[in-house]
Amino acid sequence: MTHTSLISQLLEPFGYAFMQRALLSCALIGFTNGFLGTFIILRRQALLADALSHSLLPGVAVAAIFVGLSPGGLILGGLIAALLVALGGQMLARNSRLKDETAVASLYIVAFAVGVVLIRFSRVKVDLTHFLFGNILGVSDGDLWISYLTAFITLTGLAVFQRPLLLTLFDATVARASGIRVRWLETGLLALTVLGLVASLQAVGVLLSLGLLILPAATAYLLTDSFPRMLWGGAVIGLLGSVSGLFLSFFANIPSGPCIILLLALFLGTAYIFSPNYGLLISLLRKRHFHEESLERWDGHQEHDHRFPTSND
Amino acid sequence: MSAPLLQVDDLTVSYDRIPAIHHLNLTLEAGHCVGIFGPNGAGKSTLLKTIAGLLTPETGGIRIGGKRVQERASRIAYLPQRESVDWDFPVTVEGLVEMGRYHHVGLFGNFSMSDREAVSKALELFKLEPFAKRQIKALSGGQQQRTFLARAWAQAADLYLLDEPFAGLDRTSSRALAEALQTLKQHGKLILVSHHALSEAASLFDSAILLNGELVSIGSIQEALSPLHLECAYGTAIYSGEHHHSGV
Repeated sequence: MTHTSLISQLLEPFGYAFMQRALLSCALIGFTNGFLGTFIILRRQALLADALSHSLLPGVAVAAIFVGLSPGGLILGGLIAALLVALGGQMLARNSRLKDETAVASLYIVAFAVGVVLIRFSRVKVDLTHFLFGNILGVSDGDLWISYLTAFITLTGLAVFQRPLLLTLFDATVARASGIRVRWLETGLLALTVLGLVASLQAVGVLLSLGLLILPAATAYLLTDSFPRMLWGGAVIGLLGSVSGLFLSFFANIPSGPCIILLLALFLGTAYIFSPNYGLLISLLRKRHFHEESLERWDGHQEHDHRFPTSND
Repeated sequence: MSAPLLQVDDLTVSYDRIPAIHHLNLTLEAGHCVGIFGPNGAGKSTLLKTIAGLLTPETGGIRIGGKRVQERASRIAYLPQRESVDWDFPVTVEGLVEMGRYHHVGLFGNFSMSDREAVSKALELFKLEPFAKRQIKALSGGQQQRTFLARAWAQAADLYLLDEPFAGLDRTSSRALAEALQTLKQHGKLILVSHHALSEAASLFDSAILLNGELVSIGSIQEALSPLHLECAYGTAIYSGEHHHSGV
């Protein structure tokens, strides 16, 4: 194979309009979700995001029944359903002894069941696989515009409130004491998460959207001790993972959604093993304890008895 | 005469109708390190949290330098209890101290020369320079406490509220923390510390508050923690509302 034909083969996907749209959509969603993911992970809400993603279903079903498969209707339906579950969960938790993860989990399971029942009444066929993995190769110009808008809203919102959000994530109590409107910020973050999930529904489905939310940020978390680096690192990993995953799926002829997820999982696995500070390998290779250094520390006490008094404090 | 740094008037805070603090009055001036003592359930933590603006008073109120707590939020530093901090958070000692400047820099502002100076001064004052680049989990308990004090310093707080900060610290760390509190006091700050060991009162604080739901005494250590006052605080049962649960 000649050099030029290899390049032309690699560039082949760019020749198709559907592939161009898919790439752009993937890049946008990957970057935005990767950025948002840092906030979700540091708030330990990865599973809440999962719960919300499943609660979109009844909204999507209702929309499909009444307005068919128009993207606007689906987004609005999903948004309302997820917000009801999220806010309903918050309300249940605040007004009873139920903890919020119990409240949200109860509601999302109910919501999912309602969704599956409702889908039967839809005149158009709603495929559950489509709901879970989307149809990235079928992205329309309208879907692309929705991605632009969501990315813009999410990234602007997070960038503007980055500092108060950081204070809140780190310690909500102290942040509240220093005059930050913690509840308002938390609700805003929840709304952005829901928006991110719903807006990428058509393109990548809830599972891939969730994967892009969690996996890149988790990878970055294992690699750095700096908040800004985790933030941008997650975004860049999300972008690289989704674009290269899409390429890979094109050439290997496998479904794009799972392919992207598996590639991101490979990144996470690599960081888990090879992270310079927190990796499995380094913790195995490190000396068990600082032997010589400790002996040196005790040297000053040589004249005393070697049995030091043990204290309980 | 200017308003006192901290003024608490007729303060009542209750949980589920049972008052943790009952009609409390006290006035404190800047430049003191004050220990708050009293039996379990005497309202030590409640008092600190209310001053920090985390709990809403049922009666009365709190003034900081003559202003409402909400207007003075950035001048009050409430130190988190160890359990409430996520020690795996991706932040270094320096990064944490920089957070203290966020109020001054605003949402977008860049760190100016004076912000940088405030941060490095705080690191120096609390002897944290050697650990500046460390992630916060890789510190001893005492170093962690000092990191939070340094953040409060960078925030330019006047009033420091610490809830049982000495709990779980070994002797060396305790000494370093006590020194740090003295440093704050010498710089004219007001420090309020809840503490359980009465025997250490004189070595750590210059004055004391003795609580038992209500204010038992306030003043110099000797005066506030006199045998008579202690008998009064620890000898009387605290109203816990038990009698009420059956009735009204």
